[in-house]
Amino acid sequence: MKSALINKSDIRLLLKEASREWNIYAPLEVQGGDVNFCCLPKENIKEALNRVTLDDKWIPVPPKDLFFPQLESLFEIKKNKIEETVEYSKKLLFGIKACDYQGILFSDEFFKRTFQDNYYLSRTKDRLVIIKSCLTPPRQNACFCTSAKTGPFLDKDFDIQLVDIGEAYLVEIGSKRGEDFILKYKRFFKLCSNSEVDKALTVKEKAVDSIELKIDFSRAVELMKGKEPPEEIYKKIAQRCIHCGGCIYVCPTCTCFNVFDDKENEAMIRYRNWDTCVFEGFTREASGFNPRETKWLRASRRYEHKLWYDYKTTGKSGCVGCGRCLTSCPVELGMSKFIQEITA
Amino acid sequence: MAKVLTTCIYCGCGCGLYLISDRMKLIGAYPSQNHPVSKGCLCVKGWNSYEFVNNLQRLKKPLIKKNGKLQTVTWDKAIDRVARKFKEINKKHGPDALGFLSSAKTTNEENYLAMKLARAVFKTNNVDHCARLCHASTVAGLTAAFGSGAMTNSIEEFENAEVILVTGSDTTEQHPLIGSRIINAIDKGTTLIVIDPRKIELAKHAAIYAQPRFGADVAWINGMMNVIISEGLDAKEYIRERTEGYEELKELVKDYSLEYVEKIAGIPKDKLIDAARIYARAKKAMIVYTMGITQHTTGVDNVKSLANLAMLTGHVGFESTGVNPLRGQNNVQGACDVGALPDVYSGYQPVTNASIRKKFESAWGVKNLPDKAGLTVTEIIKSAGEGKIRGLYIIGENPVLSDPDSNQVRACLEKIEFLVVQDIFLSETAEYADVVLPAASYAEKDGTFTNTERRVQRIRKVINPPGQARADWQIICEVAERCGYKGMNYSRPSEIMDEIASVTPMYAGISYDRLEPFGLQWPCSTKEHPGTKFLHKDRFSKGKGTFSPRPYIPPNELPDEEYNFILSTGRTYWHWHTGTMTRRTSTLDREVPTAYVEIHPNDAQGLGIKKDDMLRVSSRRGRIELKARITEKSQEGSVFIPFHFKEAAANVLTNPAIDPIAKIPEYKVCAVKIEKL
Amino acid sequence: MKNEYIPYPAIIEAIQTESFDTRTLKVRFKDKRLRDSFDYKPGQFVEISVLGAGEAPISITSSPSRKGFLEFTVRAVGKVTKAIHKLKVGDTVYLRGPYGNSFPFEEAKNRNLLFVAGGIGLPPLRSVINMAFDNRDDFGNIKILYGAKAPDELCFKEELKIWQGIPQAEVLLTVDKPANGWKGNIGVVTTLWKKTEISPKDAIAYVCGPPIMIKFVLQKLLESGFKPDNIYVSLERYMKCGIGKCGHCNIGDKFACIDGPVFSFGQIKELPDKEREI
Repeated sequence: MKSALINKSDIRLLLKEASREWNIYAPLEVQGGDVNFCCLPKENIKEALNRVTLDDKWIPVPPKDLFFPQLESLFEIKKNKIEETVEYSKKLLFGIKACDYQGILFSDEFFKRTFQDNYYLSRTKDRLVIIKSCLTPPRQNACFCTSAKTGPFLDKDFDIQLVDIGEAYLVEIGSKRGEDFILKYKRFFKLCSNSEVDKALTVKEKAVDSIELKIDFSRAVELMKGKEPPEEIYKKIAQRCIHCGGCIYVCPTCTCFNVFDDKENEAMIRYRNWDTCVFEGFTREASGFNPRETKWLRASRRYEHKLWYDYKTTGKSGCVGCGRCLTSCPVELGMSKFIQEITA
Repeated sequence: MAKVLTTCIYCGCGCGLYLISDRMKLIGAYPSQNHPVSKGCLCVKGWNSYEFVNNLQRLKKPLIKKNGKLQTVTWDKAIDRVARKFKEINKKHGPDALGFLSSAKTTNEENYLAMKLARAVFKTNNVDHCARLCHASTVAGLTAAFGSGAMTNSIEEFENAEVILVTGSDTTEQHPLIGSRIINAIDKGTTLIVIDPRKIELAKHAAIYAQPRFGADVAWINGMMNVIISEGLDAKEYIRERTEGYEELKELVKDYSLEYVEKIAGIPKDKLIDAARIYARAKKAMIVYTMGITQHTTGVDNVKSLANLAMLTGHVGFESTGVNPLRGQNNVQGACDVGALPDVYSGYQPVTNASIRKKFESAWGVKNLPDKAGLTVTEIIKSAGEGKIRGLYIIGENPVLSDPDSNQVRACLEKIEFLVVQDIFLSETAEYADVVLPAASYAEKDGTFTNTERRVQRIRKVINPPGQARADWQIICEVAERCGYKGMNYSRPSEIMDEIASVTPMYAGISYDRLEPFGLQWPCSTKEHPGTKFLHKDRFSKGKGTFSPRPYIPPNELPDEEYNFILSTGRTYWHWHTGTMTRRTSTLDREVPTAYVEIHPNDAQGLGIKKDDMLRVSSRRGRIELKARITEKSQEGSVFIPFHFKEAAANVLTNPAIDPIAKIPEYKVCAVKIEKL
Repeated sequence: MKNEYIPYPAIIEAIQTESFDTRTLKVRFKDKRLRDSFDYKPGQFVEISVLGAGEAPISITSSPSRKGFLEFTVRAVGKVTKAIHKLKVGDTVYLRGPYGNSFPFEEAKNRNLLFVAGGIGLPPLRSVINMAFDNRDDFGNIKILYGAKAPDELCFKEELKIWQGIPQAEVLLTVDKPANGWKGNIGVVTTLWKKTEISPKDAIAYVCGPPIMIKFVLQKLLESGFKPDNIYVSLERYMKCGIGKCGHCNIGDKFACIDGPVFSFGQIKELPDKEREI
C-alpha cells in the first residue's frame, strides 16, 4: 500500500484548499458541545474549520444522512408537471470512522442492488472518503468494532486512511481516487519513511487493544443461522422497548423508509423519510392484517435482519459495531447486549 | 445544511435536539448527546418533530372572514381589524368583555406578552391557557401545601430514587424520557410502585401494581396514610419541624380503614399495606403523577392528598425525594411561570396584591391594572356562550377539540362577536374565527420554553416562517402598538426575557447569555445564582408545609343503568393533543391513523365486540363512532379514548363539571354507553 | 439511469363496479410510446399514485395478451385506494412498474391449471387465467374455484360466465353468506373440493386470497397430493416502493416486491415460520 505523511497542522489548510472543489463534510463541534458531521459552509469556511474535531469524539448520529437524509423529496408537482428533485454534489467526507465507512459501503451495495436508487446513488456519485480511525474508542463499553471486524482500522476498500502517529498522520492510500486526490494536493503531503510505517503499526495494535468490549459476533451469527433465539429473549426486549425508533434511526446500515405525499391546492410534494421496523404500522396492511403485529416479533426482526438475513444475502453482517443502538436507546437496549445475552 | 440546537416542541421533558435544515426546509431532527434530559435519546415524537413544519397546509397569510368565508388580507388590514374591534368592544362593554387564551406551546416571552396585552393594554385579567386543563389542580394544591406548584425534583434524580410511586401517569407513553429513566432505575435497584386505574406499561415493571377504581384517589391515599400512621412509620421529627396541621390529618385518615378503602377504591388490603410500608420506609422516594390525579372535580383534593402523603413520610425537600407532577406541554410550566393565568402576574405574583400591581404598573408604564382575578379557560368559553365575553383572542389553542363538551364549546364560539385565532394551521377552532393570524412554528423563532423540571431553555430560529407568517411575539406587539400602547417595543425575544427577569423574582437571574447551552432551573434569583435542582431544601417555599386533610368525594358523573361504562380520556404516545402537528407527521399518523376506544377483553366479549369493530360511544352530551381496540390496559367496566381525533372527538362526550378551586374539568371520569354498529 | 420513483400519467377509460367496495379501472398511458412499450407478465403489479393521497401497489388484472390498456381491481380499504374510488372516467392516475415476479406461464404449458381464489384474490389470477384462455390450446383443463363472502362480492360476475362456457374449463363458485336467490355452493372455498375432482396429475395450482384462506387451501392442496413446488401463491404484504428498497414488505431475507409477490409453496416453507402466517 502506498503511504504518505501530513502534518496535523496542515489538515485544516488542506481542507480549506479542497473546499474550492468539494463540499466538505467533517465532524464539527456544534452548539451544546456535541460533535456531528456537518457540511462546512463555503462562505464561512475559516470559522467552521476551527470547529472541526480531530480527536476521537463520540458522534451520536452516523453520516448516513449525507446520502440518505432523514427526509427528502422525491419529486414535486410544478405547473402540473412532475419535477424530480435528485441532489448531486462533489462530496469530500473527512474524519469518517472505520465502522461508519463500513456502514456506508454496506448501504451503497444495498441501494445498487436489483433496482438502482437514483436519489442515493446521485448523492454518492462523486464521493471521496478520508477515514480517520480511532486510537481509543470514543465510547468505551459501546464501541465493539474489533468484534464486528469493522475497525478501528481498515486494510482495504477505502480511499484514504489517516493514522495518528503523534505530530503527523500517516496517510494510507487505498484507491485510485485517493491517489488522485493526494497528487492534486501534493503540496500538503510528504513522503514517509519505514520508521513511520512501523510506528503506525504499533499505534494500530494499541488501538485494537484499547477496545474493551468484546462480543462473540461470529458465534451470534452461527446461532442465528442454526436456530432462532428463544422467544423469551425477544419478549423481554419488547417489554422494555418504548418504540422510539432511535436504534434504527442511528444505525449506519438501516435504510428503511416511508413514502408519503404532502398536498395543498395545486402544490404537491412526494417525500420519503426514515422508517423503522419496530413500529407496528410498518407492516400493517390497509386491510388491518399485520404479519408482525406483536411487539416481540418486531423486536426480533431487527436482530435477525442484521445478524442473519444480511449475512445470508451479502456475506456480511449488517451490524458494524458502532454501538449507537445502545447509546441512543432510552432503556439501554442494544445489539451488543443482545449478542451477549444469546451467546452467554 | 445547518444543524441548530433547540428544544423539543412536544412534552414537558424538554429534550434537547438538533433541527437539520436544508434550503429553508427542515429535513431532520436528532438528539443532543450532552443535553441533561435527552442524553443522546429521543422518543418517536422528538425524532419526528421536524416534519409538520414543512407541511403545505401551514397558514401563510392573514385571513379575515367575509360573508362567512375566510379570505386573504394584508397584515396591515388584519391587525387593524383586531385592534379596532377589541378597542370597540372594550369601550362599549368594558375590559372584561374581552378574553385571551394564551398557549403552553408558545414561548415564555410570548406568554408574558399575551398577559401583558390583556392586562396592560386592555385592563382585563381574563387571560388563561391550557394549564387550566392539565395542572391547575397541581398549582392550587401544591402551592397550598408547599408554596410552589412545580415539580420538586429534577429528571436526573429519578435514577437515584429508592422508591418511585407512579400514579395517574402513563409515564412511558406521555413522558417517554422520564418513563425510560424509571425503567433504568429499576435495574439499579429502585422499587417501583404503580397505582393506576389503567394497567399501563410501567405496571409490568412494578414491584407492586394496584388498580384502583377511577376517581378513588383520595380514598386510597388516605388509606395509605392511615397504615403509615398506625404502624408508626410517619416521619415524626420532620413533621414536627417542617409542617403544620398534622393532627387534623391524623384525625381524618383514621376513617380510612383498609376495608373501607378496599370497598371504595378496590385495592386489596395487602397491596395497600405493602405499598404504604415500602414508600414510607424508603429514604429517597419520589411520587410521579399527572392528569390521572389532576383532571377530576376533586383534582385539588387529590394533589393535596399526595402532598400530605409525601410530608407525612418526610419525602419532600431532598435529592431524589419529592412530589413530581410531570408537565404535559413543552411550555406549560413556563406559561404559568410568566403569568398567563387569570389571578397572577409572572412568578405567581397575585393580581389582588396592591404593591405587586403597583410594581407592574410602573414597569409597564400604565395605571389602574385590574385588581380582581379574571376568568379561567373554562369560564371564558362559558361566558362567551352567555354573551359576556364578546371579543376573544386565542393563541395556539384549539378548544373545540381540547375542552370538555365540544358541542357546547362550538355553540359558545358561534356566539362570540369577534374571535381572533393565531395559529400555525387552520385548526377546528380557527374555522370559527373572524380573523386568523398566521404564526411561526417553534423552528422559525427564538425564545425559551420551561420544561417540567423548571429548566428555562432556549429554542432557536432555524428557518424562516412560511409565506407571511410571523412569530407570535411580533404579532402580539403589533396588536398592542396598533391599540396605541407604547410599552411593547422589542427588537428580539431576549429583551422580553430581560423584562420578565426584572419583574419576576424567581426568573430574576435569567438572561439569554446565561441560558447557554442547556438553560437554568428556577428559582434563579440573581445573575450569579446557579439555578435550583430540587425545591424545598431545608424549608418549604412557604415556610412550613401544610397538611390539608381531604375527605373522599366521588366523581361528578358515575355509571348508571343507561350509561354503564366509565370513560377516561387522555393521549397516546404517537399523537399530540388535537393532532394539528402529529397528524401531519407521516410516521406518527401512520401508526395511529384513526380514533379508537380501548375496552377490556371481558367487556368486549360480553358485548360481542371484536378488534376494529366500529362502536358508538355516547354520553349525555353527545356521541361518537370509532374503532374498538381490545386491551387489558383498560379496567373492566371502563373505556379509554384519546382526544386527538376530530372525526371522533372524545371531548364531545366528556363532562364539563369542574373542580371548585382549580376549575379543571373532569376529563378522567364520565359515564358512557357502548353500542356495536 | 431511469428514476424508478417517477410515475407516469394514465387516463381512466372505464370503471366497472364489482361490489360495494371494489371497482375495476381500465387505464391507458397518456404517452403513446409507453402505451406500446409497457410490457408485463401475469402476477406483476404496478404502483398507482393519486397525487396527494399517495401510492399503493396494485396487481395488474388485465392479461398481457390483450394490449394497449391495463386493468386494476381496487378495493377501497386504505387512504390511496379510497382516493382511487373517488376518481371518474377521464381522470388521471400515475403509474410506475411493472414490478415483482410473475406466475409461471411458459412452464405451465401442456399442464392442467387449478386456480383457487378468495374475494379480492381473483384479480391477480385473472391476468394469468385470461392469458391461458387466449392460448387455450397450450393447456389442459382449467379449473377455477372462487369464493367470496356474499354473491355481491364476487368480482367479474359477467366474465365468470364467459369462462364457464369455454371448453374444458370449469368454474366453481361459493359464498359464505348466500343472498339474492343464490343457488350455488355455500361455505369456504375448500368446501368446493367435494364438488369436483382435484387431481395433482400434470397440474399447477395458483392461489390468491386472504392469509387465512390461503392457509386452508394449501393444506387441502397438499392433502390432494400437490407437491409444494407445483403450488404458487401470491403473497400480500404492505409495500411502499415496490423495488426492494423501503423494507416494508420484507419476510426473512426476501422482499415480497422483488422476490415475490409470487412464491411457490416450496419457497414459502423456507421463510421464517413466525412471519409467514400461512
